[in-house]
Amino acid sequence: MLILRTLSLRDLHGYGIVQFLQQSSDNELLVEEGSLYPALQRLELNGWIDGAWGVTSNNRRARIYKITAPGRKQLAVETRQYAKLTLAIARVMGAG
Amino acid sequence: MTGVLRRLRYWIDHARRSEALGEEMELHLAEKAAELEADGMTAERARAEARRRFGNVGMQQEESREIWMTRFWPELGQDVRYGFRTMIANKAFSALAVLLLALGIGANTAIYSLMESVLLRSLPVADPASLVVLNWHSQPPFNANKEWVHVMHGVQGLAWPGDKGTMVSGMFPYDAFETLCNENAAFSTLFGYFNGLKRNLVVRGQATIAGTEFVTGEYFRGLRVSPAAGRLIDSEDDRPGVAPVAVISFATSQNRFGGPQSAIGQPVLVDNVPFTVIGVAPPEFFGVDPAAAPDLYLPLHTNLLVDPAAAERMYGDGNFYWIEIMGRLRSGVSMAQAQAALAPRFHQWVATTASTDGERANLPALKLNPGAAGLGGLRRRYSKPLYMLLAMVALILAMACANIANLLLVRAAARGREMAIRLSLGAGRLRIVRQLLTESVMLASLGGAFGILFAIWGMRTLTLLLSHGQETFTLHAELNWNVLGVTAALSVVCGLLFGLAPAIQSTRPDVMPALKNGRGGGSHRRAQHVLVVAQIAMSFVILVAAGLFVRTLNNLHSVQLGYARENILLFSLDARHAGHRDPEIATLYADLRKRFESIPGVSSATLSQSSIINAARGWQAIRGQLKIGAATIEGASVMAAGPRFLTTMRIPILAGREIDDRDQPDSRPVAVISERLARTYFENENPLGRRITLPDEKRDLEIVGVSANLRYGGLKNEEESATTVFVAASQFSPDQVTYALHTAGDPLRYVNTVYEIVREADSRIPVRNVATQAAEIDRTISQEITFARLCTGFAILALLMACAGLYGTMSYNVERQVGEIGVRMALGAQRGAVVWMVLRRVLMLAAAGFAVSVPAALIASRLVKSFLFETRPNDPGTLVLASAILLSAAILAGYAPARRASRIDPLAALRHE
Repeated sequence: MLILRTLSLRDLHGYGIVQFLQQSSDNELLVEEGSLYPALQRLELNGWIDGAWGVTSNNRRARIYKITAPGRKQLAVETRQYAKLTLAIARVMGAG
Repeated sequence: MTGVLRRLRYWIDHARRSEALGEEMELHLAEKAAELEADGMTAERARAEARRRFGNVGMQQEESREIWMTRFWPELGQDVRYGFRTMIANKAFSALAVLLLALGIGANTAIYSLMESVLLRSLPVADPASLVVLNWHSQPPFNANKEWVHVMHGVQGLAWPGDKGTMVSGMFPYDAFETLCNENAAFSTLFGYFNGLKRNLVVRGQATIAGTEFVTGEYFRGLRVSPAAGRLIDSEDDRPGVAPVAVISFATSQNRFGGPQSAIGQPVLVDNVPFTVIGVAPPEFFGVDPAAAPDLYLPLHTNLLVDPAAAERMYGDGNFYWIEIMGRLRSGVSMAQAQAALAPRFHQWVATTASTDGERANLPALKLNPGAAGLGGLRRRYSKPLYMLLAMVALILAMACANIANLLLVRAAARGREMAIRLSLGAGRLRIVRQLLTESVMLASLGGAFGILFAIWGMRTLTLLLSHGQETFTLHAELNWNVLGVTAALSVVCGLLFGLAPAIQSTRPDVMPALKNGRGGGSHRRAQHVLVVAQIAMSFVILVAAGLFVRTLNNLHSVQLGYARENILLFSLDARHAGHRDPEIATLYADLRKRFESIPGVSSATLSQSSIINAARGWQAIRGQLKIGAATIEGASVMAAGPRFLTTMRIPILAGREIDDRDQPDSRPVAVISERLARTYFENENPLGRRITLPDEKRDLEIVGVSANLRYGGLKNEEESATTVFVAASQFSPDQVTYALHTAGDPLRYVNTVYEIVREADSRIPVRNVATQAAEIDRTISQEITFARLCTGFAILALLMACAGLYGTMSYNVERQVGEIGVRMALGAQRGAVVWMVLRRVLMLAAAGFAVSVPAALIASRLVKSFLFETRPNDPGTLVLASAILLSAAILAGYAPARRASRIDPLAALRHE
């Protein structure tokens, strides 16, 4: 969901995605960076993102990923579910 | 779907994709390192930190790749490897299962393939579905006084029993054929043919015997056969007076001319009549009767040249039935429509041939039958035996399946513990089930592979058995892959079904009991017992069948022949068809006999119209009545025999002399009568010197000797009262004669000498039907021999299977009851009591089996009644014997586990508990 969200804003290559996630979460989300790649493959298999060779901001060849139409749909679904879940958790926590 | 496509695209491109992934990760690390360096780290530390944050590069790569791969193939590989290991670990189980499957699959495929080629295969001609065979049916020709009253005064060919006691035949008078030909609105062609039987064919001076078919000019056009070379017979060739031409079979062209092309235009002699070969039939064509397969096709009317005496009656007599008719329906005309069009016309015609009221009351009615599969002779003869064999092998297959199921049940139960361990170590249920499926399928495919080998071998053997050495047998059975597939699938399904149910059960989440004592899950026991009982029941049925056939064979072998069976060589010569004529032919036969008798090692030689066993069929020396004084001799068989017949056949001479060289064509006709005949007509008077008169031939025979009684004709002829009259072959001059040589040692050792002598005398005369007397007799009961052998084989197989099943079940039960038995023994149970405990269960299973199978066997044995000889279908001896064999086999199979049970050490058993 996070990767889809990132890509829905801008097409990026792998390292770009990690950077963006870390910056936008103020370095709160620290994952093993390598695990991004299996995740990317899974998304590509599902047809939610699409990778193509391109050039990064500092002119190096890289696979640039962009979100596809089914990907956007999936993002919408997941966002809704996430919203529901957080709402529920917030309610429980609030009640406690 | 698109997921699959994307996956496919990845696979095609996977080397590049994996490189790209590596490059991507490299880039990631480089950029990270650059960033860290920019933050003030040393280059080295930055790279290390980048790597640390990234995690295990190799593993990430592996994981990323794996997302694209399904796990199916590698896991299948694992399953197969594991399956092989298990199979090798359980050698006995695997070998047994594979063997059972191979036998079941193989036997079924062989028998069914054979059946298919006999019963179901179409003629190898274009559009066989539009061919019809013309038959007629009527009430049997005998009236209440057993007199022949029928428009069919004579027939050359077959009539066979139809439904509800009717008589059916495919033979028609020539006049009927012509009449129907003029009425052929329903048919595009109507063609006739008749079996010309064996003729003497001389090619380039070399004589052999060739099967012939006389065919009308429309025959090949009607069948839509195209020649392999030259041209085929057409209407122009089938007229009296035109130059005689012949079409030969493809095989003949290869064997006798060295190929189809070189046969065209060659002159040949058929029974000494010159013909010219104009064409060669295609290789796959065997005529219209799968049983006949002629070597030579001749125009119908050439029988005027080849066999003028017979032909005269064939074309002139409207009451003589001999030509067979087939037709090809016009497109759009159904068989029923054709029948409706033709039947009234035939009725109208046949009514004109009836001369008495009795004949008019029972006129033949025309009936059309599908001709796609050719004539039904072979089918009529073999369909019943084949159906019976099929039923038997189906039982075997059922037993094999039951046995496999049983084995798998036992094994699944035994592996319950293994499954529990695997489950608790985190194996997926589906994964385990798949593993078991893989193992079942592996067993089945191995079984199937051996089954194919077994089927091929079985089919060859069966064809050989069924053909029993007939040269004309043309049944080319092919392996039927459909059947093979079905039987193999059946056994796999059965294996899966019985392997899977316990497998699923054993993978149920609750693994604790299984882990605890390893002997949980006793719910398969009932299923197992049902399977064992079923096997016992089936093997009993097969045992009874085998018993009945073996008894039948024994009865046939113990029939009193009254003549020698061993040390006699038989072979036939036909000089008349090679061009010899009376009276020279008698001299030729007599000279040959003397020469055969002078072969060292031959104690005596004789000749007769045929072998004794086949004498009831074919040529008859005397067609009219025989009288002694005013009394007509009833039911006597007449045998034309040469000198020293009784000596050679070891038939005792009770009075007077046998026929010898004194009996020449011009001397006084003589007869030797059998003892029973002498007693019936002369009582205590001396028959020597008395006369038998032949009113039809206006001559009489002087009785010169009395022989002992003998069984004349086939073994099954229930002619206890058979009486025989021997007449001198020289005085009745049969067309062909069968020589009999009484030899020292193996009769077949003399065959080459015989060939040489005949070639020396006249190379145009072929030697045929070479056989020992014993083989000749066995040939008449080949079906019984085949059945007895096959059924005995099947019975042994079935017995082994039932025993294996019983043994497996009992062993398993004993293993499960180790604890219980241990307790019993600890409490003082004797070993004998433990053995008895196990055996009692065996006996109960056997008893249940008997209860089911005795009625089944009684019903089944009634179905085979027509194959039996002097054996009642519910023969008590056979039933008792079969029960005894089965029971002892069962006890034997149960005894080993019972003994093992009695050897259980109570201490060890209890500790295990």
